[in-house]
Amino acid sequence: MVYCARFLRKCPGVVNLIEVRNLTKVYGQHTAIDNISFTIDDGEIVGFLGPNGAGKTTTMNIMTGFIAATGGDVKISGVDIVAEPERAKANIGYLPDTPPVYGDMRISEYLNFVADIKKVRKGRKEAIEHVMKAVHIDGMSKRLIKNLSRGYKQRVGLAQAMLGDPKVIIMDEPTIGLDPKQIIDMREVIKNLSKKHTVILSSHILQEVSAVCDRVLIINRGKIVATGTPDSLSESLTKGAAQMQVRVKGQREQIQKALGEFSVIKDISMAAGLEQGTTDLLLRGEDSTDIREAIFRCMSKNNFPILLMKPNELTLEEIFLSLTDAAAQRGSVAGALPGGAAGLGAEPHLDEGRVSYDSDL
Amino acid sequence: MTAIYKKEMRTYFTQMMGYVFLAFLLLLVGIWFAMVNVTGHNANFHNVLSQVTIFFFILLPILTMRLFSEETRQKTDQLIFTSPLTITGIVLGKFFAALSLFIIGTAITIILPAMLSLYGELPASQILGTYIGFVLLGACCIAVGVLISCLTENQIVAAVGTMGAIFTMFIIDAIALAMPISTFASLMFVALIIAAVVAVWYNSTRNILASVIVGAGGLAFSAGLYIANNLIFDGLIVRVLLWFSIFARFASFTRGILHLADIVYYISFAALLLYITVNILEKRRWR
Repeated sequence: MVYCARFLRKCPGVVNLIEVRNLTKVYGQHTAIDNISFTIDDGEIVGFLGPNGAGKTTTMNIMTGFIAATGGDVKISGVDIVAEPERAKANIGYLPDTPPVYGDMRISEYLNFVADIKKVRKGRKEAIEHVMKAVHIDGMSKRLIKNLSRGYKQRVGLAQAMLGDPKVIIMDEPTIGLDPKQIIDMREVIKNLSKKHTVILSSHILQEVSAVCDRVLIINRGKIVATGTPDSLSESLTKGAAQMQVRVKGQREQIQKALGEFSVIKDISMAAGLEQGTTDLLLRGEDSTDIREAIFRCMSKNNFPILLMKPNELTLEEIFLSLTDAAAQRGSVAGALPGGAAGLGAEPHLDEGRVSYDSDL
Repeated sequence: MTAIYKKEMRTYFTQMMGYVFLAFLLLLVGIWFAMVNVTGHNANFHNVLSQVTIFFFILLPILTMRLFSEETRQKTDQLIFTSPLTITGIVLGKFFAALSLFIIGTAITIILPAMLSLYGELPASQILGTYIGFVLLGACCIAVGVLISCLTENQIVAAVGTMGAIFTMFIIDAIALAMPISTFASLMFVALIIAAVVAVWYNSTRNILASVIVGAGGLAFSAGLYIANNLIFDGLIVRVLLWFSIFARFASFTRGILHLADIVYYISFAALLLYITVNILEKRRWR
C-alpha cells in the first residue's frame, strides 16, 4: 500500500491536494498577490509566513472561494474553486482571522447550524461532540458565544472548521489574540489535526510556524520569497556564516588589538556589553572554520575572561528579516542578523526598522 | 437553503427583531381596525390592509436590514460563503425567512375579520384578494430590502436605503406623471441608460473596446427601433417608471379581482431583484 501510494504520488497527472497556479489579485492600483504558484500534498502542515499586508489573508480568501482572483486558478483535490465551488468548498474547513461566530447563538446551536450548512447528516451528534472535544470546549455547549473570551471564540471557530471532516483545514492567524497558554494549547490542537487533515495556517509570528509546520512559504508583498522546511531555510541562510557570540570582560580597543593577531578570526563586530566593563562580540571564521579554540587562546593569552560564548544560529525571525527586508538584503549578513547578539544583551541600534551593530573592523 | 432559513427564523426571535416587527405590524393593523371598522361601523377590512401598505416603507426594513449587512459586519459571511451552499440558496433562504415572518404577522391579523364576521356579512372576495395582494406586495418590498442589505455592512444604511427605495416606489406614480413625454426626452432617457450600462460594463471588465461596442450596439439598436416605429418612444419615461410602481397594481386586489398579469408581475419583480442580489454576491467571487 505504501509503495502504491508513493508510486501514485510520483505519477504525472495525479493531482496534488491543493494546486495554486499563477494566482494574482489586484485591488485597484494595489497588487495584493503577484503570480503565486504552489502545491500542497496530502497530510502536510504548511505555514504562510509574512508581515502584515503581505497577501496571506487574500491568498486564503481566494483559496476558500470567498473572493475571486484577478487571475490564476485554485484546485482543491482537483476541483476548481471557481468552476465547481460547492464541490470544492466541501473539502475545506476555514477559520478566518476573525472567528465567524454568531454572538447570539449557543455553542451547540452554532455547531448544529454549521453542520446544517456543511450537510453533515449522519452521525451529526457524534461529529459535533468529537470536534468540541478536540478543541477542549466539551461541556460548554450551552454557553452563549458572545459571552466567551477571545480564546474560546477562536476554539469554537476551529471546531466549526473541523466539522464535516474536510480534507483541508485553512487557518488564518489561528493564535492571534490568545494568551501564551492558549497558544500552546492551540499548537497542540493543530498538531493533532494534522493526523487526519492537511493543514494550512498563516502567521506573522515565526515561532508559531517553526513550532508546527512541516513546510513554510514565506510571502512578502504578494510574492513567495522562500519555501522549505523551517530547518532547511535556517540552514541555507547560515551556511558559511558560523558565527559565535562572545562576551568578554575587558576594554574594546584592547580586545580589538588582541583579535588582530589571530588571522583565523575574520569578521568582527563589537558593541559595549550590558554588563559593566564588558564587550560583546560577534565573531566569524573563514567559511565554516571552527574558531572556538582560537577565541579561547586569544582571550586567555591577553587575560580577558570569557563570560559567555555560544554559536549564533539564525532564528526564523532573522531569516524572515533578511528575506523580506529589502534593505537588509543589500546590507551585510552580519548587519542583517542581529538576533544572537541581542540575546546576549547588546543594544542593537534600531534605525528605521533595520538593526545594525557598531563594526569597527 | 433550509439551513439558512432556519437560522434566520431563529435569529428573528432571539434578537427582538421578529417581535418588534410583529408588534409594529399588529399595532398598525389594530389602530386602523379600530378606526375604520370598530368606530366606523364598517365591514371593509380590506381598507385596513390597504392603509397599512402605506407603512411598508417603515415596517419591512425592520425585517431585511440585517439579513446580509450583519453577516458582513460580524464576518460570518466568511463562513456561509465558504460553505458548500449555493449563493442562490443563501439568498432564497434569507428572503423566505423574512417573507415567512411577514406572512406569520399577516396571518395573525385574520383574527380581526374573523371577529367582524360574527356581527355581519363581510366582503369576503375583496378581503381575500387584498390579503393575497398584501403578501405579494410585501414580498416585493422584502426583495428590495434583501438587495439593499447585501450592498452595505451597516444595518442603519441598509434600513434607510430600503425605506428610501420603497417610499420612492410608493410615490413613483406622482413622479411619473411629472415626467416629459416627448420623443426627444425619451431618446435622451435611453441614451442615459445606455451610458450607465456602458459605465458599469467598463467598470467590471476594464475593457474599452468591449464597452464601446456595447455602447454603439445599444445606440444602433435604439436608432433602429426609432426608425422602425417611433411610437415606441412616446412617453417611454413614464412607462418605464410605472413599471416600478408596485403599489399601483395593488388596487385591483382590493377590489377582489385577481389578475394573472398582476400576480406574475409581483412574482417576477421579486424574482428579478433576488436574481440581481445573487449576481452581486456572485460577482465578488468572480472578479
